[in-house]
Amino acid sequence: MKKSKFVYEPVDASPVKSFFVSMLTRDIKLEEAILDLLDNCVDGILRTQKSARNKNTKQPYKGFGAEIKFNRDSFSISDNCGGIPWNLHEYAFRMGRAHDRPKDTHGTVGVYGIGMKRALFKMGKHCLISTQSGENRYEVEINPQWITDESDWDIPVGPAKKPLSEDGTTIVVSELYPGIKERFFDDAKAFKSELERMVASHYAFIIDKGFEVKINGDAVKPRPTKLIFHRGDKKSPAIRPFIFKTKTEEGVEIFLTVGFTRPIPSQDEIQDEQEEKQYSSLDAGWTILCNDRAVLYCDRSELTGWGEAGVPRYHTQFIAISGIVEFISDDASKLPTTTTKRGIDASSSLYLQVKNKMREGMKIFIDYTNKWKGLAEESKKHIEDGEPLSFVDIKNESNNLSFIATKKTVLRGDQHRPVLPLPKKLETKKRRLSFVKDIDEVRDVSEYLFQDGNMDPSVVGEKCFDMILKEARK
Amino acid sequence: MKHPPYHLRPNKAVDRLTFLEAIRRLGKLSRLSAYTYYGFGGPHLEEFQLLYEFCPEIKMVSIEEEKETFKRQKFHRPCAKPHLQLVNNNFKSFLDQFQASDRKSIFWLDYTGLEYKYFEEFQDLLGKVAEGSVIKITLQCQPRRYSEDKDKDDFRKKFADVMPNPAAAPPAFLEEFSCFLQEMLQVATQQALPGAVRLMFQPISSFYYTDGTGMFTLTGVVCSRTEVDKIKKAFQDWELANLDWAKPRKIDVPVLSTKERLHLQKRLPCKRNSGKTLHKTLGYLINRDIAKTEDQLKNYADFHRYSPYFMKAIP
Repeated sequence: MKKSKFVYEPVDASPVKSFFVSMLTRDIKLEEAILDLLDNCVDGILRTQKSARNKNTKQPYKGFGAEIKFNRDSFSISDNCGGIPWNLHEYAFRMGRAHDRPKDTHGTVGVYGIGMKRALFKMGKHCLISTQSGENRYEVEINPQWITDESDWDIPVGPAKKPLSEDGTTIVVSELYPGIKERFFDDAKAFKSELERMVASHYAFIIDKGFEVKINGDAVKPRPTKLIFHRGDKKSPAIRPFIFKTKTEEGVEIFLTVGFTRPIPSQDEIQDEQEEKQYSSLDAGWTILCNDRAVLYCDRSELTGWGEAGVPRYHTQFIAISGIVEFISDDASKLPTTTTKRGIDASSSLYLQVKNKMREGMKIFIDYTNKWKGLAEESKKHIEDGEPLSFVDIKNESNNLSFIATKKTVLRGDQHRPVLPLPKKLETKKRRLSFVKDIDEVRDVSEYLFQDGNMDPSVVGEKCFDMILKEARK
Repeated sequence: MKHPPYHLRPNKAVDRLTFLEAIRRLGKLSRLSAYTYYGFGGPHLEEFQLLYEFCPEIKMVSIEEEKETFKRQKFHRPCAKPHLQLVNNNFKSFLDQFQASDRKSIFWLDYTGLEYKYFEEFQDLLGKVAEGSVIKITLQCQPRRYSEDKDKDDFRKKFADVMPNPAAAPPAFLEEFSCFLQEMLQVATQQALPGAVRLMFQPISSFYYTDGTGMFTLTGVVCSRTEVDKIKKAFQDWELANLDWAKPRKIDVPVLSTKERLHLQKRLPCKRNSGKTLHKTLGYLINRDIAKTEDQLKNYADFHRYSPYFMKAIP
């Protein structure tokens, strides 16, 4: 055989900086990148001893917080969440997670080691990270020259110029990219509004547990979902959520609950909402928590079981139904999240099993809305007999409920299936009347009968019938 | 179909005439004949009558959903077709089919209520109109409708997507509520025309007033980001301009007799201490105390040129 005249040399497979700086940053929205920085703050809390003292309280994150500021020239985030200890510095600033990185603290979510770097490179060319953790006080600077120099992967570190009042980290990004400047300045109001909304929803449960987040001076207030829970006689039918809890063999703790957040909608409300969007935001749907972070918020798609396996697609009729699933694991890689941590890995076998339970729970409340269709007013009093409880309170209150162990189902665990009130069957001698009339005509009759043109159509109709009945029986 | 007397509301009338002034100043930037005006005229087609009188070069389209009101509009036509086209349709449906192409528009979204769909329609329009177009949006501004916790919560859910601060409660007082609505509209404009896009919404003026029901109104131009300075220059001499999303101005013109107004006329315009000056000229209170009197007279001084005379007339 002839010898080849080409000499094949080994290929240099070392990474190129532009891959991290330009390519990875495209995978993620700016708001999500900032949430990654907040994740690091919370991970920092879990590493501190202070958090150990708070661990068993309702407010394990109390005393900790992060402040985000942005304008056309810079972005900064400052926290008091313990700082980056020197023994973690190499791994905090390296791209990716090395095998010999010190073991993570329980409950953290960082897996791939790219969150902070991706966020910083997304925003600007210059970054200064000042951190203080006990005796360690140092600064790391990434400047535009470092980004363009392919030969030098070392990042300069120096002692911090001034101490911080508490252990924590301050990151300042400047020399912002033009697109980022536009978001921070031209779109400042809309961007701040969107960022606050994302923090309020993804961090609702963490903020509810004491963590404080400020954005350009305004504190973010969460609106966590609350489900109606009747605390009274546990044997009588009442509005309570469905609950399932378990711990898998791999050590993932799961707590699932689904129920009503409000009275079921009347037929008029359903029709109004179908014709025109009345609400820009809804509490309905599923929220999935992974180590306290909401990775999905009020989802109403197939991702959370709507529209498949006997569950109808989401519809305004179900506006009162809301569910929360909490996954807790010491090892974040066991959680069913996507790489961005802002979504669910729909193909995760763990999640697919949990989704069966989500559907099982949803069906109970969907069935209730079908049985009480057209009787929304009567069903209201059952809702009003209960009180809205937060997720933490439901977990506590669930200790007073009876659970059945599900050993033979795919996902083993304990579940509480509520017995919901049923409507009394209409007595055979009663008949339902319903008809459709022009809006203006209904308004005129309502004005005539009640001196108020906005009475509920069913009240107007019933009054008309009663008046004519009285005449007919004279 | 019952209608409130739109044509007789004094503060609304001032707002209408300030809008006309804004359109007149727009003429410094582009030929007014290049514009088509779209509005909800109500039964008497009030602003259409004024536009035809003062800006006859602008073609007009009125959109009315209610059949009987549409018949009244036909009766009150201030001019012939095709100069004024009357359309019997709901605005959403009209908007779905609207195609501006390159023709400039002036839209007055004169809503009587406050619903999330109005913000959506506003945003939809921002994305459709040609560069140089003007949009005025009027919304109900009634803070007492949201005084209960349940109503506050409902407000937050309804308007979450455009709230400047999603957790904030709607303010309890008219002035603050008007600022809040303005911020919500600012968020809506930035969402519809973000910084990455060539066009933006430049505010020209904003007011709040009450003729029984509180209202807020914002007017602005959809323009190229490179032309913003040109737009601002065209309006900077207008004493009522709001070019930087500053606090909306209050329209609260006092009810004065024709004789009182003519008497005050010789003192106007009044650059400084207008309230005190006009109070001294009248020589008596027109409200419960000096402060309120001078406050209202100052407001009269600010808006006197836009305040119509309401008189009895023998038909």
